[in-house]
Parts: sequence; structure tokens; C-alpha cells
Amino acid sequence: MDDVELTSLWKQYDQTLERANILNLQSWVLHLQTVELLKTEKAKSRLRSLGSCKKGMILIGILWVAFLIFLLANSIAWSKIFFALSVAAVLGFNIYAVLAYLWHIVLIDEIDNSESLVEVQKKTATLKAATLNSTRILFLQTPFYSTFFWTWQWMKQDPAFWYIAFPVTLLLTAASIWLYRNIDIRNADKRWFRLLFSGKDWKDVIRAMKYLEEIEEYKKDLP
Amino acid sequence: MHPTDKDQDFLQLILANKGIMLKICRLYCPDQADREDLTQDIIYQLWRSAERYSKEYRFSTWMYRVALNTAISFYRADRRRTTLPLSPLHLTIEDTADPAGTEKLAGLQHCIQGLKEFDRALILLYFEEKTYQEMAEIMGISETNVATRLSRIKEKIKKCMQIIKE
Repeated sequence: MDDVELTSLWKQYDQTLERANILNLQSWVLHLQTVELLKTEKAKSRLRSLGSCKKGMILIGILWVAFLIFLLANSIAWSKIFFALSVAAVLGFNIYAVLAYLWHIVLIDEIDNSESLVEVQKKTATLKAATLNSTRILFLQTPFYSTFFWTWQWMKQDPAFWYIAFPVTLLLTAASIWLYRNIDIRNADKRWFRLLFSGKDWKDVIRAMKYLEEIEEYKKDLP
Repeated sequence: MHPTDKDQDFLQLILANKGIMLKICRLYCPDQADREDLTQDIIYQLWRSAERYSKEYRFSTWMYRVALNTAISFYRADRRRTTLPLSPLHLTIEDTADPAGTEKLAGLQHCIQGLKEFDRALILLYFEEKTYQEMAEIMGISETNVATRLSRIKEKIKKCMQIIKE
């Protein structure tokens, strides 16, 4: 089969498709109210397509941030310095996460479909994949969950602090830094990664990251 | 409520390019119900992007970009039906002739649907007789890349057709 034969076959295929008809197209397009309703429907569907993961995380995040602000406001005292600093650190990470997720929703809505295919698909996939980046940053807050009950008195008087509490914090710090550095698409096939990111929403995120690699590959000129 | 001039213009645009939309939908959605949803999505996206249309690009470049981007995103999404079949928001496509009716055409459709999303878009543009420059603008890749990829895609389709024939 040569190119001419292939093109002629397409033309036959084209003719059969041209015969297809959209039955209620005219009334559908001209009905302004319908288009407006459709806009609302589609806006809802875009929010739905963001996945329960992102929406759920925003809701939990806002509630958690509000609770942390309440705790912080009630613990600003020298005697509670470790508690206040820990809460402040966790609060910082969570404010970042909530703002990042909200920003992603705004950006998803702003994507202009009239840009080139490679650009639009890259932007969409980048936004979906950004969830993983926010998550790896959130892992860095872990050590602060082991420091909120530290006190000056405990440090000075109880050797258990140096034998148990301090090493636990060091361990959590090392683990969170390791996770931050290793949560990457290159490790997506490793067992620990699959265990950590199982579930449908995470599979979509990982798919988006793999798609990003495909897009980058597609942009390169072939030899 | 009466349609405005803008609505009339938009309707003319959609009617004039109905064939392109249906072709794109057919290549990205084998399922009839999905095709109807995708057609609605494409019309909606064209409506939504119309205000942002820049004369910097040819009209057909703009339209292919919007329609193909919508089709690829729709194809990749984990779809849940967003419209009710009996609601006034639903478009109905009547396929008077199914390309799968003849063996060769069904083979061509099967081989094109077996390609990756971007390759499918590129071969459609090739068959629609777009220039390399326009294909490069729509896809967002270089003309050299378009040429090399097209030649490989055509080889793939020919091989696929050969396998079906045997």
C-alpha cells in the first residue's frame, strides 16, 4: 500500500463520516439558556474531574489550618516555645498546601485550549502532577509532630529526652528528607512508592507524570 | 429568548465545521455515547475560546487546536457521564453510515485508533491536507519533527493494514 492508496482510503472514510448528522445541533447552539446551563454543567464537571483527592484535601486542609491557628494563638508563651514553634512550622506547611491546591484549581480553569496541543497537554499534565510535588513538601513537616511536647525542663532533667525523644525526631527528619528527595516519577515502579501512593487519585497523578515525559519526548526532533 | 448575531455567527461556524468535529470525535471515541459527549465538549470549548481567538493564527489552526485539545483531554480523562441522555443539554448524533461497514475502512479506523493521541492528531491533519507549517503550529512541534513523525506514522498504518489483510 502506498501513500496515494492510503489517502484515497481516507477520502472514502471521510465521505462516510460526512453523512453523519447531529440531529438537534441548530436548536442546541441557538438556545442561549441551554448554553448557559451547559456552562454551569461543565464548570461543575471540571471541578468533579479534579478528583475527590484534591477537593477533600482542600477541605481537610482549611479545617486543619483553622485549628492550628487557634492552637498557636493560645500558646504564645516562653514556657510553650517548642509547642508554639512546632505548631507554627506545621501551620506554614499546611497553608502552603491549601494555597497550592487552590491555585491549581484556578490554573486548570484558565488553560487556553487554543494553544498548541503540546503546550496545552503539558500544562494540564503539569497541574495534575503538581499534587505529588505538594505531597513531598508536606512530608517535611513530619519531624515537627515529634517536637511539640518538648520542654526546657525535660531537656535538662530527663536523660530519656536525649535517649528517646531526640533520636526519634532525628529519625523522622532523616525519613522526611529521604522521602522528599525520593518521591519522584523515576521511583514510581518501586514497591514503597506503590504502597505509599495506591488508590485511584494517585494513579491519575502518576499517569499525568508519565504523560509529561511522553510530551517532552514528543517535542524532541527525531533522528 | 432570541438568538443574537453572535449566536447566529457561532451556529454558522459550527455548521460549516461539523464534519471536522465528527471526524475528530470518531477517531478518539469508539463509543457512540462518548462521541456525543465529546461533540458537546468541543462545541462548548469553541464557544468558550471564541472570545480569545487571535487573528495571529489562521481560523482553521485555531479550530483544530481547540477541538483536538478537547478530544485528547477527554480521551485521557477518567470519564463519568456529565449529561443526562434525555436532558435538553444532550446532542444526538445520527450515524447514517458506519465506516466499519466495509472491511478496508474498518481496518483503517482500527489502525488509526491504535495510534497514540498525538500521532492520531497528526495523521488526521495530514489527511486533511494541512501544510507542514500549519501542522507544526497546531501540534507545537517543529516542521522537521512533523515530517519525520508523519513518515513513521504512515509506515505504522501500512503495516497494521497489511496485518489485517493477512
